Formats: sequence, structure tokens, C-alpha cells
Amino acid sequence: MIHDFGIVWSERGLLLSGLGNTTILSVLSAAAALLLGFVLTPALMAKQRWLSRAVRGFVDGMRCVPFLLFAYIVYYGLPSLGVRLDNWTSGLVALTIYNAAYMAEILRGAWSAQPREPIEAGIAFGFSSVALFRRIVLPPLLLAAGPVIGNQMIQIVKDSAFLTIIALPELTHAASSIQSRHYVPFAAFITAVLLYWGLCLVIEAGVSSIDRLAAARR
Amino acid sequence: MNAGDVLAILQGAVVTITLSLTGILIGLPIGLGLAVLRWADVPVVARIVAIYVSILRATPLVTLLLLLFFALPNVGIAIGPISAAILALVMNTAAFNCEVWRASLMNFPKDQYEAAQSVGMSAPLRFRRIVLPQIARDSLPGLVNEMSLLIKVTPVLAVVGVVDITRAAVRIGAETYDPLPPFLVAVALYAPIVFVLVSLQRWIERRQIKAEALA
Amino acid sequence: MAKRVLDVAGVSKRFGALEVLSDISFQVEKGETVCVLGPSGSGKSTLLRCINWLERPDAGQIYLNGTEIGVNGGGIVMSDRELSRIRTRIGMVFQHFALWPHLTVLQNLMEAPVQVQKRPKAEVRDEALALLAKVGLSDKRDVFPAKLSGGQKQRVGIARALAMRPDLLLFDEPTSALDPELVGEVLVVMRELAREGMTMVVVTHEMGFARDAATRILFLDRGRVVEMASPEGFFSNPATERARQFIQRYAGRAANGGR
Ligand SMILES: Nc1ncnc2c1ncn2[C@@H]1O[C@H](COP(=O)(O)OP(=O)(O)O)[C@@H](O)[C@H]1O
Ligand SMILES: [Mg+2]
Repeated sequence: MIHDFGIVWSERGLLLSGLGNTTILSVLSAAAALLLGFVLTPALMAKQRWLSRAVRGFVDGMRCVPFLLFAYIVYYGLPSLGVRLDNWTSGLVALTIYNAAYMAEILRGAWSAQPREPIEAGIAFGFSSVALFRRIVLPPLLLAAGPVIGNQMIQIVKDSAFLTIIALPELTHAASSIQSRHYVPFAAFITAVLLYWGLCLVIEAGVSSIDRLAAARR
Repeated sequence: MNAGDVLAILQGAVVTITLSLTGILIGLPIGLGLAVLRWADVPVVARIVAIYVSILRATPLVTLLLLLFFALPNVGIAIGPISAAILALVMNTAAFNCEVWRASLMNFPKDQYEAAQSVGMSAPLRFRRIVLPQIARDSLPGLVNEMSLLIKVTPVLAVVGVVDITRAAVRIGAETYDPLPPFLVAVALYAPIVFVLVSLQRWIERRQIKAEALA
Repeated sequence: MAKRVLDVAGVSKRFGALEVLSDISFQVEKGETVCVLGPSGSGKSTLLRCINWLERPDAGQIYLNGTEIGVNGGGIVMSDRELSRIRTRIGMVFQHFALWPHLTVLQNLMEAPVQVQKRPKAEVRDEALALLAKVGLSDKRDVFPAKLSGGQKQRVGIARALAMRPDLLLFDEPTSALDPELVGEVLVVMRELAREGMTMVVVTHEMGFARDAATRILFLDRGRVVEMASPEGFFSNPATERARQFIQRYAGRAANGGR
């Protein structure tokens, strides 16, 4: 057994690049999904019925589809429609669009729970457009939604493992490669599991520091 | 894609549903058991359960499945795709269910428990007659939510060769050189099931809020 | 003649079929405290919100220090940027305080002067600390609003408005959300401001404050100015039946300690 872990250690470069790719994928798509969420959320609450209905349909629809099938469709299905993306782009696009639906719903919930008066005060005190959003609207919103966004980030990390099926060289794919090359399944996959755990503990630490900030202001 | 292909995907659906139900039915009581161990603060064991839950919540189902499927035979435990699939689902969902059950247990009013104690009910009796009915009600929305999450990760089971919806769809896609239609059929099978569970969860939550408002 | 700070000329506002303000006109001279009284739903809040264009009037003009608010010459509606520059001249105090929850008390005071008015931070900070001392909250400067009592929150709300060095202060029922025993501490601050010559328009149900701090009373009913009088004139000798009934009702409620 020790010997098996020795083999995994000798392949640490591969594993670390897998961990790096998982991290990059997760961070990029989480950031992009959050940004998309900020676009979708106002549309969800739009007065124009056609717009809010269309976005509501997208959000609820996405939440009923398994991520793996969605990733399959983006990678294998879109080429039949003439859209051909490489596995990195497919993975990133699939993760981003899929999680944007969740982010939109998270932000909508936090948004509608925010009191209106402080925002009105911002306008009355001369804030407008970007400054109003950045200085007055956004900070309390992120403090309120922080923990749920953190949970969704953990979900994104785990979803990214599904992308091993389109041969994206992320952490699980790296562990698979090591296992098939050296036949050390236990050592290879347990190491991957522990690395995922570490990643989630880092996210959870981030969440609890946001939570501390929020608690001081509640 | 022809009628036979659709039939093949439907057969896959039977496998998917059977595995999901099995995972849910075994995972529910195990989750409860783990939660009780943590709630009762059994020395060492509670700590181990906490670490188990923390790790499992961070582990992607694919990774867990590959670990079980490849590593168990390595240590002399013969395991096929189906048993590996069920084991992975149970290990995964039990961890999440444990958290749901535990949250309800923590919310359970202590005075009620003590009242049951004062009328001389034994510990198992207290748990079965007083605690369980109430925390089951309290946990229900969370548990249904976890069921919909579990169903959404089942396509992964195809990775180790379980012939479920997804594997059937992949095979047909490869044979017909047109993967889009079978995947759309697969989505059309999954979406209503998840939708029903999500709606069920919202319905229960709304009903409970209403009942609380009346009380 | 005193300088005219605010001139409201024929302002009307409707929400759908409901005419909330009809043809409201009045002026406020520098140093005046005008109290706006009226039953709930009579359009008092809407009037204040029209003054700084949080609500866009359907008709009429509003002038601050002789400059029209909301529209440029030629009747073109102002851009957000122009509007916000004018809004910085008008301080506003809200019924439910509307403090920014993510900022400390001191940061609440400094936020708009630094970010919107672009004044030097050090100068704003000194002034903000002086204002906190003035409202008696120096020891709360690094506390978040959530940790304050209602009366303390409203005093911060007033200090925050003053930190903008406004030409005009608008108050929308500043004590209505407070527990009875906390009303006094806020009124003390407001009386002090009135005495110092701050120009204020105060919507309130505090008849005692209106009687002895106001220079004039504006009585609003169903969106119309029903009376405009000195406090003595209004309270001892109301010209209309509506005003008489209103005074009676509120005097009675004040005596019962209710609100
Ligand atoms: N944004 C709005 N949309 C529709 N009706 C409104 C709106 N704001 C106020 N109103 C209505 O206008 C009337 C006057 O409201 P308001 O100015 O708040 O009165 P007051 O402050 O004197 O109690 C009320 O009938 C109120 O329901
Ligand atoms: Mg009002």
C-alpha cells in the first residue's frame, strides 16, 4: 500500500496539474456564472412578462437537467448543429451556463430579501448607476448570498469532475490516468478524494469568513 | 434513431429509476443513523462520522464510483458495476441526509424530550414515539431536495458500465452518428422526474409554512 | 428679504388613476422649518420624494436656490448624473432610517461626501466626527447600524444627511418608527438644527414639535394644500374644518400617549 502511494507520489506532477485544472475550471466558471447570474436576476424580476417567463423557464429547466447530460449535449450534441467546441471550451461553457441558472436563483432570493430603503437612500444621496450598484446594492447582497454562493462553488468543483468523460484533464481524469498506467486504484483515487476535500475546506473557510463579516452587520 | 432505440433508452430508464430508489431507500435510514450518532455525541464515533460526512460532501460521485469500482476488487472484494453504483449512491446520499436529519435533531425542543423522560419512557421508545415523527416532518423538504440531487447525478453510473439511460443514449449516439436526439430523449426522461421532486419539495414547504402560520 | 431655498410651483403627481398630489405650491426661505402635517395617505411622502425627484412629478416645477430640478432649459429631463449632483444639495432623513447596513456609523457618514461629492477624505472625516459628537454618538463611530437602538439609528441618519452639507433637509416621519421613549432624543437634535437655522421640511405627527419648532405649518389633505399658516395660527385658530378635526384627533392621541 505504501508502495502504491509512492507511485502516486512519483506522478505528482500529473495530479497537481489535474488539481490546477480543476481549480481553474471551477474558479473561472463560478466567476462567469455569477456574472451571468447578475444579468439573469434582473430579467427574472422584470416587469415585462415575456422576459421574466423566458428566463424563469431557462432557470427552472436547467435545474431539472442532470449536469452530465448537459455537458454531453454541449460536447457531442452541438456539433450536429454545426457548433464544434474543443473539450476545454465545452467544459467551461457547460459549467458556466448550467450554474448561471443556480446563481440567478440564489441572487434573486437574496435580492428580494434586501430592504429597499437603503438603496433609495443611496439614490437620494446622489449615487447613480454603477456607483449605486457597486457601493450600495452589491456589498449587502454578497454578504447575504455569500454562504449559498459558497455552497454552489462546492457544487461546481464536484460538477467539474464529470468533465472527465469528455477527456478534460482535471483531477479525476488525472487519477484515472495514474490508475490505468500503474494499476494503483486505491492510492490514486483516495489521493484525488483528499485533494477535493482540501479544495472544499478552502471554500468553506472562505464562506465562514464572509459569514463572520455578515454576522457583525446583522 | 428509431423506435427500438427509444425502447432501449426506456429500458435504461428502468435501471436508472431502480438504482435511484434503492440508493434513496438505503441511504435514508443510514443517514438517520449517522445523524443520531453525531447528535448523541458518542465519543470518537461522532468525530469519525463528522469527518466522513465532510469528505463525502466534497467528493464528486464519479471519483467515488471509480474508487469503489477499481479499488475494492484490488483488496479482494468482488464488485460489479451495479453493486458499485448502489454503494456509491448510498455512501453519497447518506452523508447529505445525515446533515438534513441532524439539523432537525438540533432544532428539536429539549423540553419535549425531557417531558417524555419524566413519564418514564425508555430511550428507544422516546426516540421512536416522540422524536422521530417530528423530525421526519421537519426533515422532509430537505430529504426530498436531496433525492432530486441524487437523481441528477445518476448519469455518472454509466461510467463504470451500468446500462442506464445515459449509457443507452451514448451507445445509440455512437451507432447513429447523431448523438443529439438520444441525449434529448434522455433529458426528456430526467427533467419531469426532477421537476416533480422539486415541485413536491416546494409544495411541502409551503404547506408547512401555512400550518405554522395557523398554529 | 431672506434667500429662497425651495420653490415648489404647481406640482402634481398621480399613480395610475389616483391623483396623489394636485397643484401643490409653496416656498421655503433660508433658515425656515416647515412642518408638513396631514392624515396618512394624504401624499406627504410623495411630496418629499418629488422634491428630490425620487418620484418624477407629472406637472409643475421645483426650484432649489433658483435652479430648476429635474429638467434642463428646454424641458429636457436631466441625466442621472445631473440629477444626482442636485440631490447632493438636499439631505434626506427616512422613516425607517435606511442606513447602509454594510458600513459602520462613521463610514455611513463619509460614504456619500467622499464617493459622490469627491471631497477630501481627511476633511470629511473630521467633519463626520464633529457631527457624531453633535448627535451624541461619538462612542458608536465604529459600530454597525444593526447594533444601534432606533433612536441612535435615526440620529446617525440625521448626521449622515448633514455630512453632505445640504442646503435643505427633508424629514419623512423621522420618529414614527421609534418606541415612544426614544422619540425625545431625536427631537432634541432636530430642535437644535432648527434653532441653528438649518432649512428643513419636516413631515411629522409630533404636534408638540410642529407647534414650537416650526416657522410655518403646511397642512395637506388628499393631495392638496388645505392650509398654510404660522404654528400659532394653525393650532389655535385653524381656518378649515378638516384641519380642526385633524388637530383634535392628534391632540387626543398624543394625550393618550398613543401614536
Ligand atoms: N409608488 C406608488 N404606487 C402607487 N401608489 C402609491 C405609490 N406611492 C404612494 N402611493 C399612494 O399614494 C397615496 C399617498 O401616499 P403617501 O405619499 O405615502 O402618503 P403619506 O406619506 O401622506 O401617508 C397613498 O394612497 C398611497 O397608497
Ligand atoms: Mg408617508
